Amino acid sequence: MNSVASIIGPHDLILVTGATGFMGPAVANSLLRHGFKNVRAFVRPSSSVARLTAVANDRCEHARIESVRGNLLSPDDCRMAVQNASVIIHLATGGDKSYPDAFMNSVVTTRNLIEACRHQASLRRFVNVSSFAVYTNAEDKRIDEESRVGAIGGDAYTFAKVKQDELVTEYGQRFGFPYVIVRPGSVFGPGKEAISGRVGIDTFGVFMHLGGSNRIPLTYIDNCADAIVLAGVTPGIEGEVFNVVDDDLPSSRQFLRQYKRNVKRMRSIYIPRPVSYAFCRMWEKYSDWSEGQLPPVFNRRRWNSEWKKARYSNEKSKIKLGWTPKISMQEGLSRYFAGCREAQGA
Amino acid sequence: MLKVAIVGCGKIADAHASQILRIGGCEIVAVCDREPLMAKQLYERFPVRHYFEDLAELLAKAQPDVVHITTPAETHYNIARLCLEHGSHAYVEKPVTLNAAEAEALIALAEARGLKLTAGHDDQFSHVTRRMRALVRSGYLGGPPVHMESSFCYDLGDPAYARALLSDKTHWVRRLPGKLLQNIISHGVARIAEFLTGDSPQVIAHGFVSPLLRGMGETEIVDELRVIISEERRTTAYFTFSSQMRPTLHEFRIYGPRNGLILDQDQETLIKVRGERYKSFAEKFIPPVALASQFLCNLKTNIGSFLRRDFHMKAGMKCLIESFYRSIAQNGPPPIPYREILVTARIMDSIFDQVASKRLPAGSEARVCEERMLVEMGSRGR
Repeated sequence: MNSVASIIGPHDLILVTGATGFMGPAVANSLLRHGFKNVRAFVRPSSSVARLTAVANDRCEHARIESVRGNLLSPDDCRMAVQNASVIIHLATGGDKSYPDAFMNSVVTTRNLIEACRHQASLRRFVNVSSFAVYTNAEDKRIDEESRVGAIGGDAYTFAKVKQDELVTEYGQRFGFPYVIVRPGSVFGPGKEAISGRVGIDTFGVFMHLGGSNRIPLTYIDNCADAIVLAGVTPGIEGEVFNVVDDDLPSSRQFLRQYKRNVKRMRSIYIPRPVSYAFCRMWEKYSDWSEGQLPPVFNRRRWNSEWKKARYSNEKSKIKLGWTPKISMQEGLSRYFAGCREAQGA
Repeated sequence: MLKVAIVGCGKIADAHASQILRIGGCEIVAVCDREPLMAKQLYERFPVRHYFEDLAELLAKAQPDVVHITTPAETHYNIARLCLEHGSHAYVEKPVTLNAAEAEALIALAEARGLKLTAGHDDQFSHVTRRMRALVRSGYLGGPPVHMESSFCYDLGDPAYARALLSDKTHWVRRLPGKLLQNIISHGVARIAEFLTGDSPQVIAHGFVSPLLRGMGETEIVDELRVIISEERRTTAYFTFSSQMRPTLHEFRIYGPRNGLILDQDQETLIKVRGERYKSFAEKFIPPVALASQFLCNLKTNIGSFLRRDFHMKAGMKCLIESFYRSIAQNGPPPIPYREILVTARIMDSIFDQVASKRLPAGSEARVCEERMLVEMGSRGR
């Protein structure tokens, strides 16, 4: 157990939503590692809790992970889930491709959860897990917590995440709701084989390498989970935003080279940044001109956010949360590549 | 300027708003959802004047000429009724109502008030369907249709919809009398209904839960359906809905006494099938070449539509909305005849009744089958 300065005691109840997703078991594991012994996992009725159960079995010493099944779109389910919780770690999100669905499963669900808990005496903090997707990166060369955020031109996920952050902030400002926002970069690790879109895309049958020499804002799943847990319990950080990226970020080219060497050989074509920018601009203009005959899936907002060169800072998380990535980048990548090989062999 | 409102701000409302914006002479004056956040997000993403969470307030304040109803199907009847009573024309998404009786009541109300109503059967207005309709009207079939086959499949692998439906035992689709079928099949049934001439065709339906869904513990959602539809001594049709069949066809075949037509909605191709045959080996060689040539023509047509910026995924919806607005402006007939809406609803009612009765407890099943056989024998005797 690692003891940390905490706003709650080890037996206080911590609710984790989206607990069966990619991040959920890692967050539960980190909570138990940090000495918290009372975790409630809120899961969809149809979700498998196998990975959560494995976490509980591994670290069962005087700790419990309770599963509560329900739907965050149901205010009743939310009230049931938040009962007696001291900290809520809100991981659940809408990954849907349509704007209304993504919005409903990110923003409406978050509102329901907040409304269910905001008058609850036991609540000490609500951790809203957001994303780097909210940063426009239109003008900045260094992405930190002060960088510009915007939904215009963003995809459904980006729109929903920006609106979710706005909603949580508004509750904080209007009602003194105790929140912290965590924005992880590109979370990677075993169990998620897809290559980050910041490296490139295989939309057109061949992998188009778009990142080039850009640093990819990766964060290994266990490191990210630690940062989220610390954001949930560290005293004196109400209303703050924390970006989470690891140290020693590889360039897109380095990442892709290692991927090919360690996972599978594949053909890729490097698209220089001016070309990808021109392509995105042309696609966007065509989409406007044709009244959406082709949806604007490639546009300047996306180019700025994903493929424009930028530097990423994790200073604030290190200083205010006392967070350091425990797993080195090279070790994280090794585990990720091993996970990819295993998945492909399966 | 036609004042338009949208009630229900979910996924399909986005498609409506996008297509309405492409039409001249109208503006979206208001949107409404009982979840104010959903109303607000649509309002923020589209040029819309106001948003509401209460329909009565929208009708009173925004005074829309037309209301697009894009809420879950179980609410269509009450909302459409309210809109018509307020004096607004109504575009009701599919399925237009939960049953034919409700559809009849809405149509009667619209007619009594001098208003228009249409159903969201927008596939009926896609480019390829309009080409088919023109050919049929030109007499290409050589007479009234003899037989039709409509396949309307659905891939339950679509994660967003299937996950929501299968994981949520209170999902609104489960509350529909025909459940999943009711929410999806109206497009495919409407294709058949268009070419039937009677008001109440005979329907024999067989539906079941696919092995895939049964394996997932699902017992309520019927996702395999086979239907025979017939008009006495005239046109017959098969309707197929499947979640398991591959490819997931959206296809319509119509055969007349002389020729036939095959429409593929996904590929937007229309193929003419000649009734006459060539002699001997010529039948083996000439038709394949003719078919290849037809596919090339379809390709050319599709590319032409794309280059003209008129090949949107919801091009059919735009055409239907435009036609509906035109019928309002010119007080002309509605784009989808009311008879077609009602025949579609009646066929669907009959399908759901039969599927539900076949899913009665084991003991009652034999009796239902016996009753059906008697009914069928009776109708043959007539």
